[in-house]
Amino acid sequence: MLITAAHIAVLIITACLVLLACSTLFLSTYAWWSPDHRSRTGYPDILPENEHSFSLIMPCRTEREEVMRATLGRLLEQTHSRVEVIISVGDDDDDTVAVAQALAKEHPDRVRVSIDSNAVKNKPRQLNTALKLCRNDIVGIFDAESIAAPDLLAHIDSVFQHRHADVVQGAVQLVNFSDSWYSLRNCLEYFIWFRSRLHAHAKSGFIPLGGNTVFVKRELLVSVGGWDGDCLAEDCDLGVRLSVLRRRIVVAYSPDLVTREETPDSVASLIRQRTRWSLGFMQVYAKGDWRRMPTGVQRLNAWWTLTQQHFMALAGVLIPISITLALFAKFPLPITMATFLPLIPTIALFALEICMLHEFGKDHNFRIRPRDYLRLLLGAPAYQVLLAISAIRALGKFYTGDFRWDKTAHNGAHLKMANVELAEAR
Amino acid sequence: MSSVLTQEPAAQPRWSIGRLARPDTAAVSAVVLVASAVFFTNLTGLAYADDEGTYTAQALSLNDGDLAPYTYWYDHPPVGWIQLAMLIWIPRLFGLGDDIDIATMRYVIALYFVANAVLIYLIARRITVTKTFALLGVAAFIFSPLSLSLGRQIFLDTVALPWLLLAFYLVLSPRMALWNHAAAGGSFAIAVLSKVTAAVMGPALLVALIDRRAWQGRMFSVMGFLTVGALVLAFYPLMALLRGELVSGDGHVSLQDGLLYQFTAREGSGYVWEVGSARSELLVSWAVGDGFLIVGGAIAAVLCLASRRTRWVSVAVGSFFMPVIVGEGYLPSMYIVAGIPFLCIALASAADLMRRAALRVARNWLPNQALVTPIVLVGVTLLLLVQTPVLGWVAKDRELLSSDQNSDFRDTLDWMRSHVPRDEVVLTPYSMWHDLDSEGWDDNWTMIVLEKADLDPAFKVHHPSGWKEIEWIIEGPTVQSNLEVLGLTTASTALQNSAIVRSFGPWNIRRVQADAIAAP
Repeated sequence: MLITAAHIAVLIITACLVLLACSTLFLSTYAWWSPDHRSRTGYPDILPENEHSFSLIMPCRTEREEVMRATLGRLLEQTHSRVEVIISVGDDDDDTVAVAQALAKEHPDRVRVSIDSNAVKNKPRQLNTALKLCRNDIVGIFDAESIAAPDLLAHIDSVFQHRHADVVQGAVQLVNFSDSWYSLRNCLEYFIWFRSRLHAHAKSGFIPLGGNTVFVKRELLVSVGGWDGDCLAEDCDLGVRLSVLRRRIVVAYSPDLVTREETPDSVASLIRQRTRWSLGFMQVYAKGDWRRMPTGVQRLNAWWTLTQQHFMALAGVLIPISITLALFAKFPLPITMATFLPLIPTIALFALEICMLHEFGKDHNFRIRPRDYLRLLLGAPAYQVLLAISAIRALGKFYTGDFRWDKTAHNGAHLKMANVELAEAR
Repeated sequence: MSSVLTQEPAAQPRWSIGRLARPDTAAVSAVVLVASAVFFTNLTGLAYADDEGTYTAQALSLNDGDLAPYTYWYDHPPVGWIQLAMLIWIPRLFGLGDDIDIATMRYVIALYFVANAVLIYLIARRITVTKTFALLGVAAFIFSPLSLSLGRQIFLDTVALPWLLLAFYLVLSPRMALWNHAAAGGSFAIAVLSKVTAAVMGPALLVALIDRRAWQGRMFSVMGFLTVGALVLAFYPLMALLRGELVSGDGHVSLQDGLLYQFTAREGSGYVWEVGSARSELLVSWAVGDGFLIVGGAIAAVLCLASRRTRWVSVAVGSFFMPVIVGEGYLPSMYIVAGIPFLCIALASAADLMRRAALRVARNWLPNQALVTPIVLVGVTLLLLVQTPVLGWVAKDRELLSSDQNSDFRDTLDWMRSHVPRDEVVLTPYSMWHDLDSEGWDDNWTMIVLEKADLDPAFKVHHPSGWKEIEWIIEGPTVQSNLEVLGLTTASTALQNSAIVRSFGPWNIRRVQADAIAAP
């Protein structure tokens, strides 16, 4: 059996793919690793005193009135007593500005409007403008299309007190899982992200924050200069910069307290969203703040966290390619068999996702039917291709320097789901 | 409401000097020392069997990139001898095995034996058996004459065992951690790929995994165990598929044919209740080998039903003996090897259950007494129970640890090495094949394994004149029965037309006389 350079190359690629798949498996199943993992992490008991006050920024751009009204309504109905809301809009978006001002007029004491007049329009710049209006202890972000749980802020306040946190990341959950073939996968992806992956990252001390339902002490946020106005993943970037400063970032999850959102309304829009995220991660990676993590191991972990997702998107495509290559090139049997090894962690994850979908349904009182499980499994390869396309698209944009902001369109499906769920609860 | 909040872990050193001094660590070290000492004693004294030669030869043929010296026909999955091949450098490093490959390979098996002893202890401890009784179970394993005979031979069952025991150890993880349970699935799959009969323990593993206080991640654990197990197992049919040998077809061997042979076509061993059937004789031979372990272990396994912690032990022993009791298919003598550790765990667990029961009774009756008395009582009772087998064991173990049954084998090997030209065609039992072939023949159609003359079609290609081209036959102690059982006509004819040149005990070296008598 003659080992050639081609064989060694295939073996190295296979080893990388195994490593990637195992890492993904580890992060995705972290929360279920042992009952211990579940129980030692949990929202602490709610404290009677509301110690902190909240300024909630609600960034909007070309939103429909009923979507904004629903989001704002949930923020104003919070059980927490000291809440103000800043609706953040851009000066080129007249319709949304008008809606925002009308809404503010209905609640003059609790809602204000921040109009961003930057020449370049994007979310971080809108947020920075709104930050200047914030007066309370803690700044929270709620995207326009999200539905917050009524007692969320009371719990978040308790987490700040109990855990002496500087930042608390709440969970976001997409809920319209039955709308399309990709929405089920998309919902589960969010479930895994907020239920499991973020906790693993938080434990490692390097965490890319999410952009919604995230709470930061205002003084800290102001002291680091707010968000990076040129970054497409301003949330991830903020997490990286706060991780480097070793600030205490706590991730909190409870199915009852998740903020509900909806999936992008089409495949094209999903790909655009993913491209933006991937590109944002690449930007954050290129900025290099992560290199200031104190130890080599932490830097390695940071590097892995920022790059791994794109690798994994590509792995879904690379695994079949490497197997096909080995088969057609008539490689020696052991080498051909080795190219199948990455399938063990990959398929194991697919199987465990069935359990996760089951738990997702249980947590949120959704009936998950057999065809949903089937869709989960059958949709996996195609979804992987979508992610790979997004990653490749992002890479292309990164090298051509195209950093325009592609906003995701939403049609309000999560509102229906929220109502349905409320009706069921009654 | 299940809720999650990540907090930073308390700084806790994973390893410390204190850990090494813990009593369990000391007990494990003792187990390693005693098991090694007993097992390495007279390791090469027991007669070499044909199967041992087969697995040794197959392991060593991996050096040439082949799964077997002759056509690999899916008789067993190859993972067992792949492991043996990967480990043989260890005894070679120390020059063990008197230059006989089959002897060297026994030292590899010894490593597996020591691992098995340690795992028995750890499993017993995981189901909260006290150290004393856990050590008692290990002692039963180390000193059982069955372990010291069948357990020290190169059988795939012994290779499969540590993986099987590791699977149980992982499945019983007190943390109920998902990765433990997924790894258990993988470990079990490797056990099955080492020796397919390990699969009978599948139900017991599932019972050990599920039959506990419910925990939140149970669904994940069962899924992880089953999926990882199935995925690792799938590599065997994958290999057959890639070789184009998955399903039966003309002109090639196949996984389908191999499995059909093992499970249906192979001549059965009869029912256990048929007097004189191979199966009943085998059961008797095991009972004669170590009646205490077989009978005592079986009773202990029934007692293990009394507690939820030990119920899986009953299922393990029960499912292990199921094919013996109700089956009639082929049953190899080394089948018992994979059952011995579970019988030992059953003994340890049952003894521990009795201790607990005695303690409860003592507490009710003598609330203010020290607990020493009942322990002593149980100890004395156990000693009485154990006394009988100990006496039997001592005699058998002394024999197994001192007798040299291979001197005739070595003399035959030496005579062949010095008297037979390397181009002359020889038929030999598998036990001696590799050691002869590597002495200068280096050609598996000049130095031929006895049964391959009839069973491998390639013989006709290399020797178109059939038996007349065979010049020597080595007639070992098992040759006559192999000729009959396997119906080997070519080899029989050659044997009939041969004369003994030299004898060493049961080993005859015969010269075939092709012209003397006409073929029948």
